[in-house]
Amino acid sequence: MATALNVVMIVLLILSAILAVRAKDLLAAVIIFSVYSLIMALVWQRLQAPDLALTEAAVGAGVTTVLFLVAIFKTHREEER
Amino acid sequence: MKKIISLLFISALGVLLLFVVASMPRMGDPESPTREHVIPRYLENAEEETNSPNVITGIILNYRGYDTSGEVTVIFCALACVLAILGREKRGRIHSYVDRSPVPASPVVKTMVRFLAPFIILFSVYTILHGEISPGGGFQGGAIVGASIIIFTTIFGLWEASRRIPQKFRVPLEGSAFIIFFIVGILGIVGGGNFLTYAWPNIANNLQPSVVLWLTIIVEIGIGLGGAMVLISILFAMMREEEAIAPTA
Repeated sequence: MATALNVVMIVLLILSAILAVRAKDLLAAVIIFSVYSLIMALVWQRLQAPDLALTEAAVGAGVTTVLFLVAIFKTHREEER
Repeated sequence: MKKIISLLFISALGVLLLFVVASMPRMGDPESPTREHVIPRYLENAEEETNSPNVITGIILNYRGYDTSGEVTVIFCALACVLAILGREKRGRIHSYVDRSPVPASPVVKTMVRFLAPFIILFSVYTILHGEISPGGGFQGGAIVGASIIIFTTIFGLWEASRRIPQKFRVPLEGSAFIIFFIVGILGIVGGGNFLTYAWPNIANNLQPSVVLWLTIIVEIGIGLGGAMVLISILFAMMREEEAIAPTA
């Protein structure tokens, strides 16, 4: 059960990382990146590092997401080809 | 051609990294090299030497106080760079950003943010003050305060947020993390120890055994306040609108 959970989290982590890079819509990329941070926080907790999990959840999923969002709204939403 | 080369390079790098991962010690292995040098000493003596029940807090703020003060300085430098490039927002000339955004915030979001923000701030106070007992501490609590204010700012706009956290209150607190670290470090020198040894309270230990713990908590509060203010200031600097007109209200 624990191993299955680990495998699911790792697969989701890799999937969200790839999707965040591949997404053409930068808003979608930022949201997927915050999902990545949230899963990473769960992984830290599974690795018995609650301090890092708190930091990752607050900074990775919260602060950087909003900073990226503000930067996107200030510039362009679509990636230039 | 370019694609083939980069694919080859990335796969070679991947194979190399996989080899490294395969040769890493198992997680929780008691004989792994990372557990043989300083970790036993930390685990055995941290509680009586640093007086903090949470060993991680003792390591971060006491044994490795230099590292942490360096990190605090790095965060402050990040703010300095942002301000050097973007400039600080001007009082009275700031404008609600969300009002002009193509997607206005819905009443549900507004109500939820107004309802949740005090509880998030309360949780962050708990995280900071309880940091030497449970997971968390200055950095985490500061990030949570910053996140709650950042959510508030994105929903209600810069004008509302900067009325609640005025610049004259925010600016002096931005450097509080490093200043408090420095003061506590100097106290160590005054007490006859090295910088950041927390030695001064050790002399006073006969009178008050928990002074080290109190100094640790003060440093945590300083880090939390400083980190939160730096995050808020970075957001405000990013959101300010040069050409915006001050609201009539």
